[in-house]
Amino acid sequence: MSEQTNPVLTFKDFQSDQEVRWCPGCDDYIILRAMLKALPEMGRKKEDFVFVSGIGCSSRFPYYVGTYGIHGIHGRAAAIATGVKLANPELSVWVMTGDGDAMAIGGNHFIHLIRRNINIKIVMFNNEIYGLTKGQFSPTSLIGQKTYTSPYGNIQPPFNPGQLTIGSSGKYFARVPGNDPKMMEELFVKAEKFKGTASIEVLQNCVIFNDGAFEEITNKETESENQIRIEHGKKMIFGKNKDKGLILKGFKLEVVNIGENGITEDDILVHDAHEADPTLHLMLVRLQNPVVMGEIRRIEETSYDEVYVERMESVAKKSPFKNLDEMFFSGDTYVVE
Amino acid sequence: MKGNEALAEAAILAGCDGYFGYPITPQSEIMEYLMAEQPMHRTGMVVLQAESEIASINMVYGGAGAGKRVMTSSSSPGISLMQEGISYLAGAELPCVIVNVVRGGPGLGTIQPAQSDYFQSVKGGGHGDYKMITLAPFSVQEMADFVALGFDLAFKYRIPVMILSDGAIGQMMEKVVLPVQRPRWTEQEIREMSPWATVGRTKDRHNNIITSLNLKSDVQEEHNRQLQAKYKTIIENEVRYEESYCEDAEVILIAYGTSARICQKAVDIARHQGIKLGLLRPISLFPFPEAALIKYAEKVKGFLSVEMSAGQMVEDIRLVVEGKTKVAHYGRMGGIVPTTDEIIENVKNLIN
Repeated sequence: MSEQTNPVLTFKDFQSDQEVRWCPGCDDYIILRAMLKALPEMGRKKEDFVFVSGIGCSSRFPYYVGTYGIHGIHGRAAAIATGVKLANPELSVWVMTGDGDAMAIGGNHFIHLIRRNINIKIVMFNNEIYGLTKGQFSPTSLIGQKTYTSPYGNIQPPFNPGQLTIGSSGKYFARVPGNDPKMMEELFVKAEKFKGTASIEVLQNCVIFNDGAFEEITNKETESENQIRIEHGKKMIFGKNKDKGLILKGFKLEVVNIGENGITEDDILVHDAHEADPTLHLMLVRLQNPVVMGEIRRIEETSYDEVYVERMESVAKKSPFKNLDEMFFSGDTYVVE
Repeated sequence: MKGNEALAEAAILAGCDGYFGYPITPQSEIMEYLMAEQPMHRTGMVVLQAESEIASINMVYGGAGAGKRVMTSSSSPGISLMQEGISYLAGAELPCVIVNVVRGGPGLGTIQPAQSDYFQSVKGGGHGDYKMITLAPFSVQEMADFVALGFDLAFKYRIPVMILSDGAIGQMMEKVVLPVQRPRWTEQEIREMSPWATVGRTKDRHNNIITSLNLKSDVQEEHNRQLQAKYKTIIENEVRYEESYCEDAEVILIAYGTSARICQKAVDIARHQGIKLGLLRPISLFPFPEAALIKYAEKVKGFLSVEMSAGQMVEDIRLVVEGKTKVAHYGRMGGIVPTTDEIIENVKNLIN
């Protein structure tokens, strides 16, 4: 497959003829727009893409992209996508899912897809609520969060999707705010190039049932103080005046002010997304203030589908038969008359 | 009250010990009502939102094994997920109540009401030779009444009981007379009435293992025979149905749930038009009101099964009637309900 021969595609080529039906003001529109802009940049043919979803607001995504797609079963998108990818390893397979779909009912398939490291991209719209069934708590809802099934405050502790990804021996995890289409677009393109399971968490605001869940993190006024955007090989610096940074103090990350207490830029940690040891990556996904955005972990290893294809080919080479007919007509054969 | 809310309140009043569920339209109000009502403070009843329907039914499995009155509710796709657990509950002979507020399928289908889960409920959606007592409410009142009835039957026969409702009954509002509060059973009461329950092995109890496994074929066959004998007793004693205008009817409509509500109206209209139409409403779908059908099969020109499905209960009617009279089916699908005009038109076709 030569990428040079692929035609130049545009945003419009990936638009679908379906009417987009999310609530007005939903971050899902931003994610869709970012994806439609990212797809032409990936340099692949339109027919190479498949979008697979389960159930939930996020799962309407395949209707809104002008590629092939599967609107599947609640929680099972990861398993369905596995089938799609192994049936045709050449495809670029995207799982569009939410916190309910991927973390609750689909938790099992989610961790096993990541464990196998199949070259599939997961985009999880995390709004910390069940939106489509109208406002029940989800596995990422916070303790104390009031929902229709926790009117006096949620008592179930939440999953951290990044921690779950790394805990499942995940090789790739990135986080992005749902109100930043540019960062999303760049991340989607980067993730597509990654050979293995890429787990991307989008902090997505649900305007109806959990409005403002990420307000402090994503608000334009406060975002530079409350989030840190990290890049491989660069210093972990943030703040409106780029005067804050992360250092490792003992076994914990600590926020420091550059220029105070003798701290200089040289003391600030450099992000190594390629470090196989997940210790620091785990600290980064768990950090509450600032919340870490960007490619936190990216370990290039052989993906399951690569090994699978190689194994099929090597076994086929060793086989004394080239096809079924050869096998049928080998050895003792006789004709029934 | 809404049908779903009446059922939820009735669960608290029935002395239910635990509810385990997962949100799905059109029955999320059941868990939402329970969470808002906080039965923990009224009776000590536990309400838990699980991570999936599979988790819900297995929490029911655990609670039922401990001899508690436990229940779950869902709608069609979620009930499909529970089938493995239901088969195991039936095999292990555990009592519980499962509520299905049916929506149209197959697959994700629609969130609108349907009656296309009849086969799944009465023929066994899970594997193996088993039955569930299946009760079909046709009003908000029955949504409330069938919870306590369901628990009574479940414990009387150590069997899972399905309340097979639909999206229309679950969502509609009617006046309802709620039952008085039943106390939850004490640990001592459970110990005395359920010697099979895993309530902690004290000196006076056997080491109960809840299981549905019998590796020896003869033991399994004997277990199957006992189950079948139990189902026969249920068929003999627990048939429930309601009939109206059947005595002199030329044609009898057979319908349950929402379809029965529409058929009631169709009977009124037909009688005004001089058509001798009756309605036989099965309340228990398993056990099926076979004797009543056989009684009228000799007298009528035909039965018309009205269902919000492609025709599922009609197969059981044909099995019972054995060709003694004409059996026709009229149904709508995809969340569409049959109209009285359509029903009467089909009755006229049957007569001619």
